[in-house]
Amino acid sequence: MGCLLIMKKIIFVLAYALVVITVFAVNKTSESEKLSLALGNQYAKKMSDASEKLEELDSAVKQTLLFNESEGSVKAREDIWRLSADIKNSVASLPLDQSFSTSWMNYLGRIGNYAKEVDSSGIPDDYHTVMAQASKNLGQMKNEWLIATTGLVNGRYSVDEWSERLNAHNGESNWTNISHSIKNYTESDFPLTASESDRMKKKELKNIDEPKVTQAEAIKRFQHLFPAVSNDVIGVEMSKPGAPYPFFHIRFTDGESLGYIDITEKGGHVLSYLSERPHRKTALSYEEIKKKAEEFLLLAEYKDLVFEEARENETAWHLVYVRKEPFYEAKVFSDTIHLKVAKDTGELIGLNAAEYIQKEKLHRQKVNKIDWKEFFHEDVKIVRNELSYVENEKFEQRLAYYLTVTRDEQGHTGTYNVLVDTENKDVIKTEKLN
Amino acid sequence: MKKIMISLLAVMLVISVSFVFSDGQTDAFTSRDLSKGSTGDDVIELQARLQYIGFYNGEIDGKFGYGTYWALRSFQEKYGMPLDGIAGTLTKKKLVAASSYDEKFVMDNLKKGNQFTHYGGKPLSSQVKQGGGKKENIHLPSKYSEQDLNLMANAVYGESRGEPYEGQVAVAAVILNRVEHPDFPDTVGGVIFQPGAFTAVADGQIWLTPNDRAKEAVLDALNGWDPSENSIYYFNPITATSKWIWSRPQTKKIGLHIFCH
Repeated sequence: MGCLLIMKKIIFVLAYALVVITVFAVNKTSESEKLSLALGNQYAKKMSDASEKLEELDSAVKQTLLFNESEGSVKAREDIWRLSADIKNSVASLPLDQSFSTSWMNYLGRIGNYAKEVDSSGIPDDYHTVMAQASKNLGQMKNEWLIATTGLVNGRYSVDEWSERLNAHNGESNWTNISHSIKNYTESDFPLTASESDRMKKKELKNIDEPKVTQAEAIKRFQHLFPAVSNDVIGVEMSKPGAPYPFFHIRFTDGESLGYIDITEKGGHVLSYLSERPHRKTALSYEEIKKKAEEFLLLAEYKDLVFEEARENETAWHLVYVRKEPFYEAKVFSDTIHLKVAKDTGELIGLNAAEYIQKEKLHRQKVNKIDWKEFFHEDVKIVRNELSYVENEKFEQRLAYYLTVTRDEQGHTGTYNVLVDTENKDVIKTEKLN
Repeated sequence: MKKIMISLLAVMLVISVSFVFSDGQTDAFTSRDLSKGSTGDDVIELQARLQYIGFYNGEIDGKFGYGTYWALRSFQEKYGMPLDGIAGTLTKKKLVAASSYDEKFVMDNLKKGNQFTHYGGKPLSSQVKQGGGKKENIHLPSKYSEQDLNLMANAVYGESRGEPYEGQVAVAAVILNRVEHPDFPDTVGGVIFQPGAFTAVADGQIWLTPNDRAKEAVLDALNGWDPSENSIYYFNPITATSKWIWSRPQTKKIGLHIFCH
């Protein structure tokens, strides 16, 4: 009798638990479906907004082609820049095929920048030719965009189904074809400018014209620069064939230190070096750290550098040095070396010299005097004025006044770096300093 | 005898008082000089003391930036010292004599992430607002914010916590390379949360709490290190589902990740 009662109780508890679990599962599924639906709706809305803006962009491009005078199409050109930035943001936040979204973003960025630059540098002779072609291609792309996004916009696919289709594409789908055509349009409508191409060449170390070093020579270079950690090299690999520049990737472990160094095959230049190890609580003074860093720079024969800034953190100091060109004695901010120095021993635990290897090509430039009292508001105080070479928006290296200025901001002293072109007085960059 | 005892007690009292006083005042700073770029507890004390006497109006965060620099120079000017913006022995001595520092108050509020100030002449208890979030004691290049660091540390930890240090720096560098690249969004948040860009975002691992190693890796990337050699993609060949990623030109393999362009 007692046994039957216990059985009944167990059955009741189990049945009750089953009901609770079922209700919970139904609720969860329903909640998940609701969330999925809400997300799908959001994506559909964004896609449809982007389609509308694409229509507006197409129209703005066409409007700029109506006029010869720059004033006539100022607003339309501003619209091109604004709309292309808006669509770019939408594309960035939508679940799209990766190759499709990257090629779209690049095209949109280029068309927007082209329209923006026209305003600062005047209408070039080929504006109508470039934009007429862009308008034709944009119309084509607009149609392809509508076809590509229709499944999610009209609710034919859920977010999951849409994601599955994206992941399953086999390289021959519509997406790939569209992204190929957008890439082609980008290259034909907005080819790289000379300064963009120079910038790319510097990044990809295209102009190193030095003999190749062997693996053994690369290791020797490593041992010369970092004798304390280079006794036990645990692996040397050549970069993969797709690397823009070939380099040796050397991994090491020595005592407590573990790290890597990358050295170019052409010329045996250090790209970067990092060593990881436990750190003690003790700390050398900043002067000792800086002295150790500068001793290393001499050893490595980095001789044309000047100190720029230093930042202390938990275990190390990060120090920045920039090249100083001899003619104007200007700092070249694109030719920089970063050092990481351990606080406990002053050992160099990081070197980043990739930007320094291929020096910037610099051009002489007119240095016009500027009346700073007229240039700045009366409450601005200049605390440093040097010359430097910096990259402007068009990726050109320009000689600039490198000013540090302060201004009272309701009891705080705000400090800014302001870079002003020495020839045309353009403000190339303004940066608030912490 | 009674007089001697009283005198002894008085002397002991004076010594104790002066010891307590000196412990809080002259021996407070460490012996090192503090200059622009310095970070740490002694910078916290420097800022708190400068604020106590009204020279510093910024946040007490332990990072010696331009705000602290100008405040220190103003103090040096007022006290007739050389204007070098460096807190050396003489400057610190003068500052200790001229100000007061409630270390417990400051450190407690920093630990709790409260918003607070440390001005003299009004009760400290009235200078605290609860909340505001705990700040990292990390000195970043000017173009990056603490939010960039934290978001990237989350992404790096979620994506590559089992990878070698070099691999973690490389993942952080890929994020920054994308920010600079015309094919991608131009903010750290935009890049990290681009749909389908990072597995850790899709599976929620981005919200794990990152460790100090991940933060250090991000810090190195923010300071310019790029072991990925300008890569804008990486993938794990064992788990990658996208066939397209294999079509990208590969640069280097670090740990389990292949980095590519």
